[in-house]
Order: sequence, then C-alpha cells, then structure tokens
Amino acid sequence: MIGAPQHHPSVETLTAFAAGTQRAGFDFVTAAHVNMCAQCQRHVAALEYVGGAGIAEGAAVEVDAHSLSHALNRLDIPPKAPQPAYSIEDILRKAKRRWVAPGIWVAKVETPHATEDRVYMLGAAPGAVTAKHTHEGPEFTHILSGALQDDGVIYRAGDFSERGSDHMHRPSAYGDEPCICLFATNGPLKAQDFISRLAFMVAGV
Amino acid sequence: MLNSGADKQTPQDILELMRRIARRDRQAFADLFLLVAPKVKGHLMRLGASPSAAEELAQEVMISIWRKAEMFDETKSAPMTWIFVIARNLRIDSLRRERSATTYGSQPPETEDHVTASPSEVVDAHDRERRISSAMGELSSDQRELIRRSFFEDEPHIAIAASLGLPLGTVKSRIRLALKKLRLCLEDLK
Repeated sequence: MIGAPQHHPSVETLTAFAAGTQRAGFDFVTAAHVNMCAQCQRHVAALEYVGGAGIAEGAAVEVDAHSLSHALNRLDIPPKAPQPAYSIEDILRKAKRRWVAPGIWVAKVETPHATEDRVYMLGAAPGAVTAKHTHEGPEFTHILSGALQDDGVIYRAGDFSERGSDHMHRPSAYGDEPCICLFATNGPLKAQDFISRLAFMVAGV
Repeated sequence: MLNSGADKQTPQDILELMRRIARRDRQAFADLFLLVAPKVKGHLMRLGASPSAAEELAQEVMISIWRKAEMFDETKSAPMTWIFVIARNLRIDSLRRERSATTYGSQPPETEDHVTASPSEVVDAHDRERRISSAMGELSSDQRELIRRSFFEDEPHIAIAASLGLPLGTVKSRIRLALKKLRLCLEDLK
C-alpha cells in the first residue's frame, strides 16, 4: 500500500472535474488521481454539493407541457443495455508501448472524445531522463508507480502535478524502481532536440 | 406549462420524495418531476445546451432518478447533490456520444469507488455539507456568482469580464480570492 498522495490537482481543476466541464483528456488524468485519492474524493464530493445547490438555487426553465406525461409513460420501459464503460485500468492496459529512447517507453492512450488532447503513459527506467520539452497548453501528470523528479520536486505514486504552458522541463525517474506516469497535454510535445522530436513523432505524443 | 416550485420546497420535502420514489411511488415521481425537471433544464441551459437539448436531457435525468432511486444513499449525499451528479454524467455522456461509443471519465455514482477512504477518514456527509454550505454562505454574492459562472456555466473568464464590464484581471483576481476562501474550507476536510 502506498502512502496518501502529497501533490494534488488545484482547486480550479477539481472544480472543473466536479462540474464536468473539463476537457476529456485532462478529465481522464484527473480521474486517475481522484479515483485513488481519498482527500480529493472528499473535495469533489463537497464541490458536487455546491453543484447541487447551484441547480436548486438557479433559475428554472419551464418544461414542455407534455413532458411529465411523457416521462411517466417511460417509467416501465426497461433501459437500453448500457454502452460498455471501460475502466481507466482497462484503457491503460490496452495502450501499446513503444520504446522511444534507452530506458524510456511511451504508450498513447486513445481519447476519441478529445482528439486535440494527447494522453499517454510514459515509463522510465530508474534514473532515465526524459527529453527536455515544452508544450503549448497545460500538462497534467499522475504518477502510476515509482517516482518522478521534476524541477527539484519528487512526485511519488499517486501524486499529481499541473504545469502551465511553455514550461520547459525535463522530468526524470527517481529512485530504484521504474516510474510510470500518465500525462495529458494540449497538442503535441515539443522536444528540444531533433532525435527526441523524431521519437515523440513516431510514438504519436 | 409546468412551473417549478423547488425554491419553495425544503430539502426535507425532496428527501421524502426520494424515499418514496425508491419504493416505486409514481405520484412521488410526478411531484419530484414538477419540482426538479425545470431546475435541471435551467441548469443545462446555463451550461450551453439549447432549449430542446436541455429538455431532452432533463427528461433523461428524471428517468435516471427513477431507475437508480434505490441506490440513492441519504447518509452519503444530499438529494440535490446526487441529482447534480446524474445530470453531470448524462451531460458528459451525451457530449461524448457524438464522437465515440467509448465512455470514461467520472464514474457514475453507483459505481463510485471509495476503497481508498478508510473508515476513520470518512467525514460525515452532513457535516461536510454543512461546512461547504457555510463556506459558500460566507462568500459575497458577487463571489458566489463568479464561482458559479466560471465553473458551473463553463464560461471563459474573458466572457464573464465582458458581460460584467470588468477588466479581465479584476475578474481573475476575484475568482482566485473566492476560490481561496472555498479552499480554506476544503482544507478542513483533509
């Protein structure tokens, strides 16, 4: 059992997550953290309460005259079989790993709802340093296992980090275990050097 | 035309209706529908849905309430919180259905996984809601409005600034201040 996470999504991110207004790719990575973080689950529950109060206090809009009778007629109709909902674990298990540098693999996670978001897993052998890169929009990271060092901060399994745009960084695996993280970015990563660019391109991140 | 009276109802009335709906009471469903469906429709329209899309989705939310009523646990959440989560998840599903058959993201309420919360960590839901309510109550009405518009209406800060006739920087700093207050209250929930 790992310890409770020390680094969490910002209140803004948790609010957008609770409100359901976050973009799908970023939502996916936030969900990966919230699903295993008791503290964030409590925060999200509190924000959902705010949402419920918002519905109750907000202005009502008249529904169609036949709306209620229509609903009553539907009560006994059995629901359609639900569409299969894949768990985060299932989706991650299906992602295909590609080695992009010594000790480093990436696996693109398909996000059909948000083609402009890039979601991917990155695995780094102990001590491996990722390519120095930047990105156009924010970058969300959730550590699935191992530990990651980024700008002097150590993120351990379960931790979450949010980076703004144009933040140039070069995260590396920390400790003697491989590190696996889940990322969401807005648009492709922009590696600094040519080889890394090529590797990112091949991997589709 | 059906008008809403949800604002005249106490949460206790809605809770009582939820209990009766869980026992398959159709009259209770009809009463809840008149109270809640117009509120849900208004909420969805504030999030950008067209009147017809909001009407259809509000209808789905009400049917979902009927189907899932037995899973509603009043010791865990307030009825309106639970209804908010149903509306949110159905809205996300409908937005995503247009693009793909896969669904992921926030878990539906009945499968929500709280395995990581040990019994000692579980904060009494009512206590939590009281605290959140009082934190929201401490915000000025301006701040509440800003939080609501920036997060629950999916409106970019720049649009809020334009509609309030305030500089963007002012709107951003007011939102931050309001969130800071809210965060202080959330930190207590650690």
